[in-house]
Amino acid sequence: MYLQDIAKVIRSKNAGPRCTTLDIMFNSDEDYQKVMDSGAISATLIAERYGVSQEDVRIIEYPMARALKVAIPRKVTAGDPGDRDVYGAQQHARLFKVKI
Amino acid sequence: MSATGRILKEFSSLPNRRPLRLLGASGQLGYGIPTPAFNAGLERRPDLIGCDMGSIDIGPYYLGSGKMATARESTKRDLRKVLLAARKHDIPLVIGSAGSAGAAPHLAQTLELVREIAREQDLHFRLAYLPGDVPKDIVIGAVRAGKVWGLDGMPKLTEQDVENATHIVGQMGMSAFRRAFEADIDVLIAGRACDTAIFSTLPVMLGFPEGLAVHMAKIIECASLCCVPGGRDAILATLDDEGFTLESMAPQRRATPISVAAHSLYEQNDPYVILEPEGRVELHQAKYEALDERRTRVSGARWVPSSPHTIKIEGAQHLGERAVVLCGAADPRFIEKREEIMRDISKVVRDLVCEDSEEDYKLYWRFYGVDGVTDRQPGTPLPAEMFLLIECIAPTAARASEVMRTMKQYLLHFGYEGRLSTGGNLAFPFTPPEVSVGPAYKFNIYHVMESERLDDLFPLTVEQL
Repeated sequence: MYLQDIAKVIRSKNAGPRCTTLDIMFNSDEDYQKVMDSGAISATLIAERYGVSQEDVRIIEYPMARALKVAIPRKVTAGDPGDRDVYGAQQHARLFKVKI
Repeated sequence: MSATGRILKEFSSLPNRRPLRLLGASGQLGYGIPTPAFNAGLERRPDLIGCDMGSIDIGPYYLGSGKMATARESTKRDLRKVLLAARKHDIPLVIGSAGSAGAAPHLAQTLELVREIAREQDLHFRLAYLPGDVPKDIVIGAVRAGKVWGLDGMPKLTEQDVENATHIVGQMGMSAFRRAFEADIDVLIAGRACDTAIFSTLPVMLGFPEGLAVHMAKIIECASLCCVPGGRDAILATLDDEGFTLESMAPQRRATPISVAAHSLYEQNDPYVILEPEGRVELHQAKYEALDERRTRVSGARWVPSSPHTIKIEGAQHLGERAVVLCGAADPRFIEKREEIMRDISKVVRDLVCEDSEEDYKLYWRFYGVDGVTDRQPGTPLPAEMFLLIECIAPTAARASEVMRTMKQYLLHFGYEGRLSTGGNLAFPFTPPEVSVGPAYKFNIYHVMESERLDDLFPLTVEQL
């Protein structure tokens, strides 16, 4: 099963111009727990998919919204020359096919 | 008596606080306020109407240039709607981060619209405003005193950075808003401000718990975004000493415990903490309970005051003038060799436009279809077509245009190794394919500044209209 088959929301957005955050939300506590228990969403995986170092990956569990929050530094500050996604809203899709 | 004066007096004479009703009318004033939900909110007799008008997410251009992100006419329409309602019902209207980025030109444009509407509609009221600009000498003083820190890995701020910024704003908080509310006013327009202060200041002045007030504010400043389905319709919060209740004023939008809790994730890097100039709210013990299908009751937020006070400061620096070329390609050999071709053509262009002088511009290119939006993952096949956005930032618009015109022509006919298509390498959707797109900016300040004198930073002006 892939993350896209179980998640309700997989999205990305800036949290300030220096940080990209990825939110993964689920329909039920069971789905949330299943993904948490799988250990699939790890700092290692995020670091590898997004080309950042593991120490810079922050993963926050947020069970009250059946959600996981991932924060990673942006390589280019939002809106700097060479930026490709000022709002950071299109950085999520590489999580779709994470195996659970 | 003014609208704020009336409510402060009412609460001072009550033996027990009654619940306070706050209407979040818009999270992005200027992009349209749906009328049915707004009117439904007014029927609930709110004690305050609040609108947020700005954000840092829109990028450095607006702060740098002093321009608004929203169109003048749509901004005026929204302002007219909330001003007419607030004056008709005689309740305070509070608008934060005026004109998208909240610097002096943004505030001035917003105030001009407010005065224009007041004249046209024959409205008379006490208008207060708080500029959000932080003077350069104060920032430089703080840099010298070691009282400025970069946020999220921003480099250490230098005096040169401060000098380079076209505008510097600080996110004012409740202490600035409080001074305005104490000045017997009807309408408050703030420059760059914490979105929370719009809604939390009045309840905190009336004695409601700060943690609850700020948590509530953080949710309703986005209007009905915390609902399922989320949207921009007005939302009503009813606050008491133990918690607050959220209800969208659009019947199809439901505030559920999950949807409200999930809102804490939005554009925040930590869903458990809300940082404010005067302290922080901790949400680890927050509780979200359904009252019915459409209303959620929230409690448990805890306020932790901080000392010294800090404000977030933001600045943007002018980099030059930007021109771009828009074109496509459908030749597999060109698409495969794209990076090499662009590197080679950059040298050709430089030799032509610079001759013996130094390169005075910067080039950037994006290959849409390949990696124009995100890094390319290993093993991803190349597309049949590719869109190229080639960008130049140069000291003048004429220079950027010159470089882009030369680039376009030489790239069109560049004879890369293995080329079969000698008719031209690029498909132009229209001509001219090179466009001047105006000044380019970057955020050069995104820092936190410690300040003992927060109150002096944002001077209050009151004007009778």
